[in-house]
Amino acid sequence: MNAVTGRELVVEVEQAQPMALSAQFRCAPGEMLALVGPSGAGKTSMLRIMAGLMRPAQGRVQVGGEVWCDTAAGVFVPPQKRHVGLVFQNYALMPHLSALDNVALALMHLPREQRRERAEHWLDHVRLTPGQQARRPAQLSGGEQQRVAVARALAREPALLLLDEPFSAVDQMSRHGLYALLAELRRELDIPIVLVTHDLNEARLLCDQLVVIDTGRVLQQGAPASIHRAPRNARVADLVGIQNRFHGVWLGPDDASGDADGWGLLRWTSGLPGDATVTEGHSTVLRVRDKGRLDKGQAINWVIHGEGIQLFDTPAQAPGDFCASVTELRHLGEITLVTLLLDQAPGASLRLTLSGPQPMSLAPGQRTCVRLDMALVHVMPVRSAG
Amino acid sequence: MDWSALLLSFKLAAATLAILLPAGLLAGRWLAYTAFRGKAWVEALVVLPLVLPPTVLGYYLLVSLGGASPVGQWARQWLGVELTFNFTGLLIASLVFNIPFMVQPVQRAFEAVPRNLAEAAAVSGLGRWQTFRMVELPLVWPGVLSAMVLTFVHTLGEFGVVLMVGGSIPGETRTIAIAIYDQVQGFNLEAANHMSLVLLLLSLVAVGFSFVASARLVRRS
Repeated sequence: MNAVTGRELVVEVEQAQPMALSAQFRCAPGEMLALVGPSGAGKTSMLRIMAGLMRPAQGRVQVGGEVWCDTAAGVFVPPQKRHVGLVFQNYALMPHLSALDNVALALMHLPREQRRERAEHWLDHVRLTPGQQARRPAQLSGGEQQRVAVARALAREPALLLLDEPFSAVDQMSRHGLYALLAELRRELDIPIVLVTHDLNEARLLCDQLVVIDTGRVLQQGAPASIHRAPRNARVADLVGIQNRFHGVWLGPDDASGDADGWGLLRWTSGLPGDATVTEGHSTVLRVRDKGRLDKGQAINWVIHGEGIQLFDTPAQAPGDFCASVTELRHLGEITLVTLLLDQAPGASLRLTLSGPQPMSLAPGQRTCVRLDMALVHVMPVRSAG
Repeated sequence: MDWSALLLSFKLAAATLAILLPAGLLAGRWLAYTAFRGKAWVEALVVLPLVLPPTVLGYYLLVSLGGASPVGQWARQWLGVELTFNFTGLLIASLVFNIPFMVQPVQRAFEAVPRNLAEAAAVSGLGRWQTFRMVELPLVWPGVLSAMVLTFVHTLGEFGVVLMVGGSIPGETRTIAIAIYDQVQGFNLEAANHMSLVLLLLSLVAVGFSFVASARLVRRS
């Protein structure tokens, strides 16, 4: 491992029991990292390990020069001694204490008079009025409780801020206020912030880095946009909510064109067993970007980014153009979800989200045309496991 | 009115409470927070004094604490005390038959405290004792209060076990409940009536107070 720079967070965890966890990631100060994955994937366990509420079988947690946990060296700093702010999923506020006393509880190391003053400072900071500060959690809304929990976490003057599903129990209106608050905190705190969420839009909106976790293992990590454009495998594509994922067989580099390197051919298949040998007449061959990592004849998954799909009326014969019929149309306020059945592709449905006046002219059963931008197709090998 | 009997009952109830409260808090919290093999049997053992006939419980206490028993002999030899037919014996019996009244409500109260509160306290920098004092205790207090009142009132009124282990020695083991029985046996119904009424009112007030206080505490939180 490289040297730890500044107050960077470094996490390495490896264990088989009681639940399998395998992860390595770093988060720089001022950076926000999201652990995403389905429920039960081990996201919260990772957070608990960072907070010191759980000891990994093997692992290491370090923030800057401070080692909080290093199983190899027998180091384990209890949560009380770590400067970590943790916002629990259901806030875990003390029901018998006012908002102010809840925050003051995290300031027990200060003399009594200063505790109150600092608690007020932090609650002002998350914009709770003095009236709200005097109330007990039960008398506050979900969003207000959330702010109290954030204030309590900040009162520790943490070197690392952890947020467990911070928005899951907050209504849409408070949510946007909290997004703004988090963005603000991130600017001024300059510490690593780790967020656990199953909501990808949220993660994409707020975070610089995503760590996709499934069954305790890190599947991929990187910037949200790069994961969306180039998911490592089909599972990641599913977990990050990429709708248009298709099957195919890799036919190898496109030698025929000759002019440009880096293009290859794939045959679009339905992905059913035995379909790889589909007759030429029923299959569609696409010319897509080739990074030279695939073998000829290999089964693949491929995805296309939403930006690479375009609807138009008149049929054209450019590569990547398909005739299709609308099978489903759902108007949801300002956006419309459209499902298209492509003529030439074997049983493939294409899902897209449209906004603006365009979808108004569509109706189920209607014929239309669609153009797929082959430069935005991303191809992934199918591993034998699945 | 047998004032010495009433006083003895109060003394017994107070001593029982003083010993059983800390022990019950520890045991109730332990049962609420710990999972282990055979826990159901431990819980069954805790409830046993509640369902056994007082005479059965009293009989076994008498047999196990009496001068001929190993425990009784040990106490006589090393501590110089007898464990039956005196206040000490009464107190031991009282502790045993009050276990369910103390431990059960305390255990239920601790079970109702969300587990992540202790974790939130730890992350906020609170040590174990601070967490107990500032987070857990205020939250379990209604349950503890009702356990205390139940134990106290139950001790005032216990009859069967006390009679078996303590007999009816004035000033030593004759509690108010025994005194009432003695008066009825001697056809002195007026005295029995007075003492019964006092016990009835005391119990009603104590239990009523605990209900009102719990309701208020629960509303507050």
